[in-house]
Amino acid sequence: MPVPSSTAPFKRRSLFKVAGLGVAGAAGLPALAACSDIESGSGSVQATEGFDFLPTYQEWPLPVEPDLVGEPPNHPSAFISYPEPVQAVSEVPSGSGTYEMTVPIWGDTPAGDDPYYTTVTDAWGGTTINLRHADGNTFADTSVQWLKANEYGDAIQIFSWMLGSHSNFTETVVNNFYNLTDILKGDIAERWPLLAGLPTSSWGQSVWSKDLKDPDSAGVYGIPMGFSGGPGNAVMFRTDLMEGANLAVPTTVEELLEVCRAWSDDANGKWAFAGLDWFVGQWFSLGGTDGWNWDPDQKKMIHNVERPEFTEMMEFRRTLWDEQLIHPDAPTGTLDPHAMQKAGNVLFTQDSMVWWNDYALQVKRGEAEGEINPLPPLGAKGREPLISMNTSIDGWTFLNKDLGREQVEEILDVANWCASPYGTTEYELLQYGVEGEHFTLGNDGSPVYTELGSELVLAPINYKVVVGQVQTFLTGDPDVVQKRFDFHAAAQQYAAENPFAGMRIEAPADAKAAGQTLWDQQNDIAYGRAELSSIPEMVETYMNNGGEAAREYYTEAYESVHGE
Amino acid sequence: MATLQSTAPPDADRTPDRLVVRRKRTVAQRFRHDWPLLLLALPVVAHLAVFHYWPTAWNIIAFMDYSPYRPFWENPFVGFAWFERLFADPYFTPALLNTLKFAALNLVFMFPLSIVLALAMNGIISIKARSAFQSIVYLPHFFSWVLVVTVFVQVLGSDGLISNWIMGGGGERLNFTSNPDTFLLLVWMQWAWKDAGWGMIIFLAALASINPSLYEAAASDGANRWRRMWHITLPGIRPVIILLLILQIGSILSVGFEQYQLQRQSIGYQSTEVLDTFVYYQSIIGNQGESFGTAAGLFKGVIGLILILVANNIAHRLGEQGIYQKS
Repeated sequence: MPVPSSTAPFKRRSLFKVAGLGVAGAAGLPALAACSDIESGSGSVQATEGFDFLPTYQEWPLPVEPDLVGEPPNHPSAFISYPEPVQAVSEVPSGSGTYEMTVPIWGDTPAGDDPYYTTVTDAWGGTTINLRHADGNTFADTSVQWLKANEYGDAIQIFSWMLGSHSNFTETVVNNFYNLTDILKGDIAERWPLLAGLPTSSWGQSVWSKDLKDPDSAGVYGIPMGFSGGPGNAVMFRTDLMEGANLAVPTTVEELLEVCRAWSDDANGKWAFAGLDWFVGQWFSLGGTDGWNWDPDQKKMIHNVERPEFTEMMEFRRTLWDEQLIHPDAPTGTLDPHAMQKAGNVLFTQDSMVWWNDYALQVKRGEAEGEINPLPPLGAKGREPLISMNTSIDGWTFLNKDLGREQVEEILDVANWCASPYGTTEYELLQYGVEGEHFTLGNDGSPVYTELGSELVLAPINYKVVVGQVQTFLTGDPDVVQKRFDFHAAAQQYAAENPFAGMRIEAPADAKAAGQTLWDQQNDIAYGRAELSSIPEMVETYMNNGGEAAREYYTEAYESVHGE
Repeated sequence: MATLQSTAPPDADRTPDRLVVRRKRTVAQRFRHDWPLLLLALPVVAHLAVFHYWPTAWNIIAFMDYSPYRPFWENPFVGFAWFERLFADPYFTPALLNTLKFAALNLVFMFPLSIVLALAMNGIISIKARSAFQSIVYLPHFFSWVLVVTVFVQVLGSDGLISNWIMGGGGERLNFTSNPDTFLLLVWMQWAWKDAGWGMIIFLAALASINPSLYEAAASDGANRWRRMWHITLPGIRPVIILLLILQIGSILSVGFEQYQLQRQSIGYQSTEVLDTFVYYQSIIGNQGESFGTAAGLFKGVIGLILILVANNIAHRLGEQGIYQKS
């Protein structure tokens, strides 16, 4: 079924590596919509590789080689010393346009009149990009309405994890955003050498189709953000507190539970966790895409909730609650786990890896004490641990379809400048600001943010993710970088296979809605509002209200790639 | 006992001296005569048209498989398919029942509370005390629900003031703001603190319109405080009570949104899900789309309209004015 659009679909030749996907994406529709005339919200399956219209990859030679060489993307290379930056873009194109870009922000909105903006603007050639900051906590949901109303300026940054808030994002993309294919197709190395140096996979993940049945209707609609892989999240613990309590770092879920019991003291305001929900699944081998995995024994798509490990996970969560090993206000979701971990009230936080480096920096600035490290991969009942590698781009910068071609090219000039990697003067200016104002060079020669730099450059997203760099490295506090590099290396053996590699799946609306309720029900059990014995009923309700339809949908997507 | 005097205008029974024949005025004449009034009404009409009638017309998308990205007339009509989906949703009926439960609670325990507060306030003679009482009871209305819920969590929460005080004395941790079993009581307490004072204001205005000489006459006839309230005060504000009651019944399916949404995580969806949060989570978060949400909104609107008409009709049958004077 073609995506609703006010314009006629364009035609373009393409080679789908997964040629069956287009048909599969549409084939699910009749089955799901058979019960009524409603066809919207039926989901979509989009191939993200095998196209012949992407920018031709041309390696952009790194000016400085990394100190630690890994195997990107799941084991990124790293810098443990700060290199002398080299200019990446020698001839900066001149730009005079003024544009507005909507970006999420977590925290306070910085002042817009700081020299950072003018310096960056001058450095990339004069093109002015004014930022519309919007609350990052609600950005995913509220952006749905801005996009439908075409009220987001000339560009908007959308992170991959935000897509879940959009119903039929394919429809939104092909109707709202500029189709960059004609501009970016083929050899672009002469004008945009850094964009040509982005991984082909990044561009492939920026493709959407107007008509899922017609491979020729696919096009590049977004400028890809950073391409990374490996474990992006972990449960971080206060090493100093654990050592102080004579507790060993757990290596299994059972040991973890014992550590939680030994550490927690509800009456005296000490708990193992301030919250534990979205991360815990991988300790019980529960991964997959939207919870779906192919079971080779049953030759069937199985959802996590149908597996016995799910019940084990719920028992674990319930134990944390019943034994007061988790903060009593954890169900509110309003606690500040970082502040509580810094204060020593909680031992663990489920977190992004970013917190690791942030904590180390705070310790150096005297704002925190001790040290945090990630728990190693854990497994329960003697099973092997499982780690989701999240090998994908972080998101996209989309350009408004109402822009002219020359305007788009001007913004791509800026994007090319922003794609400069670590070790370049462009990267330094963009990521750290102006020396003396926003950062100073520390004793080891690496940049240290000033207070202004922390607020104005480090905290906001601003232009830093307009596009990904030609290669993403682990950087930051040298100790943390070294440990993280080793952590990534050790984690490779536990990497979970992605059965849906090479495709982007948007679940049917029914399944999403049922999934929302399923999540609520899980929390009911975890926080003592429902009994563990209600799990079978919960699973049955989910399956009858979108789950079975989703199984059919994911099965077709899987079989279109892997065969029956 | 004093009786109420006729309120008819003094010249109502006067026979006109001569017959005046009025010629029907043309539209142009009427416009010339009434243009200032029309001008005054224009902003209100524009407001209603833009923010009420135009959106109301868009209810038609409840019968379409609507997408904002295609021309409006190309959206296919799907009849009552969205309503079928709405009623077939296993979480709709619990949300509806929760809504009715909270509405009943509001009607039975909140509505009279505002009247009682107004009567209590009316009985305070000291202007200073009256002013202080008024401020204390109606200022919380201006607090956002975020603030109200936060205050309750800080005071009555598991890690709140009272809980820590109890634990300091060797007691058990208080589990009130995250307990589904006591959520009804919690909701009532939050309503009472936030809105009872505000609801009192209209009744106070109605009380102010009662002629004080009636009380003086009743007092001189020996009526005590209770008899004066029963025979003068309550009959005096009865039309307002009936009017507000009918309007309240009309909005029975709209019991609010933020209060439940904010406490959903801590209490759980089963106790907090009302129609408005159901629509939000299924339509916006669950990605069912605009048509689904509109169908749910239309359902609420139609039920509300029916309830208003029924309640108004009953009021007329009982001799009350209702929301409009029956001709």
